[in-house]
Amino acid sequence: MLQKSTINITGMGIVSAIGDTINTFTNSLQQGISGIHATHPKLEPKLSVQIAAEVRDFSFREKLQNIPNIPEEKLAKAKRLGQRAPFVIQSTILAALQAWSAANLFEKKLASERIGLVVAGQNSTQKYQYDLLSQFKEDPEYLSPRYALEFLETNQVGVLSELFEIEGEGVVVGGASATGNVGIIKGYQLLELGIVDACLIVGVPADLSPMDIQGFINIGAMGGKKYNQQPSLACRPFDEEHEGFIYGQASASIILETQQSIEKRNVASLAEVVGYGYNLDKNSSANPNLEGEEKAMRAALQKAAISLEDINYINTHGSSSPLGDKTEAEAIYNVFSNQISHLYLNATKGLTGHCLYTAGMVEAIATVVQMQHNFLHPNMNLETPIRKDIQFCGKTAMHYTIHTALSNSFGFGGINTSIALRNNN
Amino acid sequence: MSKEEVYNVVQETIMDVLPDVEKENIAIEKQLKDIGANSIDRMEIVTMSMRELNIKIPLMSFAGVNNIEGLVNVLHENVNS
Repeated sequence: MLQKSTINITGMGIVSAIGDTINTFTNSLQQGISGIHATHPKLEPKLSVQIAAEVRDFSFREKLQNIPNIPEEKLAKAKRLGQRAPFVIQSTILAALQAWSAANLFEKKLASERIGLVVAGQNSTQKYQYDLLSQFKEDPEYLSPRYALEFLETNQVGVLSELFEIEGEGVVVGGASATGNVGIIKGYQLLELGIVDACLIVGVPADLSPMDIQGFINIGAMGGKKYNQQPSLACRPFDEEHEGFIYGQASASIILETQQSIEKRNVASLAEVVGYGYNLDKNSSANPNLEGEEKAMRAALQKAAISLEDINYINTHGSSSPLGDKTEAEAIYNVFSNQISHLYLNATKGLTGHCLYTAGMVEAIATVVQMQHNFLHPNMNLETPIRKDIQFCGKTAMHYTIHTALSNSFGFGGINTSIALRNNN
Repeated sequence: MSKEEVYNVVQETIMDVLPDVEKENIAIEKQLKDIGANSIDRMEIVTMSMRELNIKIPLMSFAGVNNIEGLVNVLHENVNS
């Protein structure tokens, strides 16, 4: 049965190149701090693009200790589940713990079978497998038996459901660069269908192997050529000099919860998810589709039962890809037409890099913290916008109150998504 | 390599796989499951110890093992052969 209940965000967590807590991430957005740097010069094999927004100096044990309000037994369990697990598992555990704690779910518990789990991520073991390969070729006998669990994407479902004692539905979803939004949409639908009252959505970082990076270089999607020696200038969404995406890493987590549930638990809503659009271009290739993108935004508005003038901000997909940026800007212009002057746009990827499978999650979180703190983060490298008839944020953060926002994510394979978020503060 | 040295390697491996276990909780007559190792932890302790000791034998060799000492014995029998 379809529930007409409002769907709220009640918790968020992040581990990214520009912050490993919601507070540090927010501060980086406000200050326009970019996480994009030169990668380690000794990485082998040497690739032509050596720029990325990586999660650096990562220590699971240390970061685990720094999350506030985690009960002792949960810390011990997290340590046990995560200590020897691959980076992607460790970082999702951390982001999920932050979100769970922020939603007050340790103290004000929900029936475990009324909680769902959506793991938004794909190909999360590429680097893990790549790193094991040379040793495996030498000594296959020594492969860890845990590998049989860890190479499955659903390992995330197992680990997180054990940690948080989740007994509702659990699933892994993928949608290329739109995976984060797909995760939020699938979580929303679980609540809307009344299957669960709350849903933990966890975005799994893209831990790319050198082979994956080379693939993105060879298909022509990755930037970092002209500004190879100036990494902080390489990611330039909507700028005339954009030349492709810059890879970023982040795990991100969101708790979605029905209105009834938050009233029952007496916890605060950080923002509402009011609608979404999700369609396919029936296209197996990498190119964007103007009509599909327009359709996704229009569907989000329709589902939210709001009109164009309600939207005063769009967190763009803005990946710094020349064709992608051009198509998205045109789609936004076409959808908003004479309302376009009410809108401001920025591109979080300019600071975080393109976090691929978690981009949508990272950008939903960026949208909510901008709502909460009344600002819009800057577009640091936007010097000559590709269009003059759309308002892009400038080089410094601006004071601004977002009412309702769209957050766009588009993925290879013709996947178009847009979600609508409402400021209910 | 002495049996004692093999046991030391196994102890280190156990502590690697089970971060909550201290050295004083490990006794050679104990079973791995008594100190909190589930079936996958146990298999991992075996393969990691084999790797550490540079031993390549079929995992079936450990079929009759029912405590840490049994594990140490099989490893010890094969370590220098």
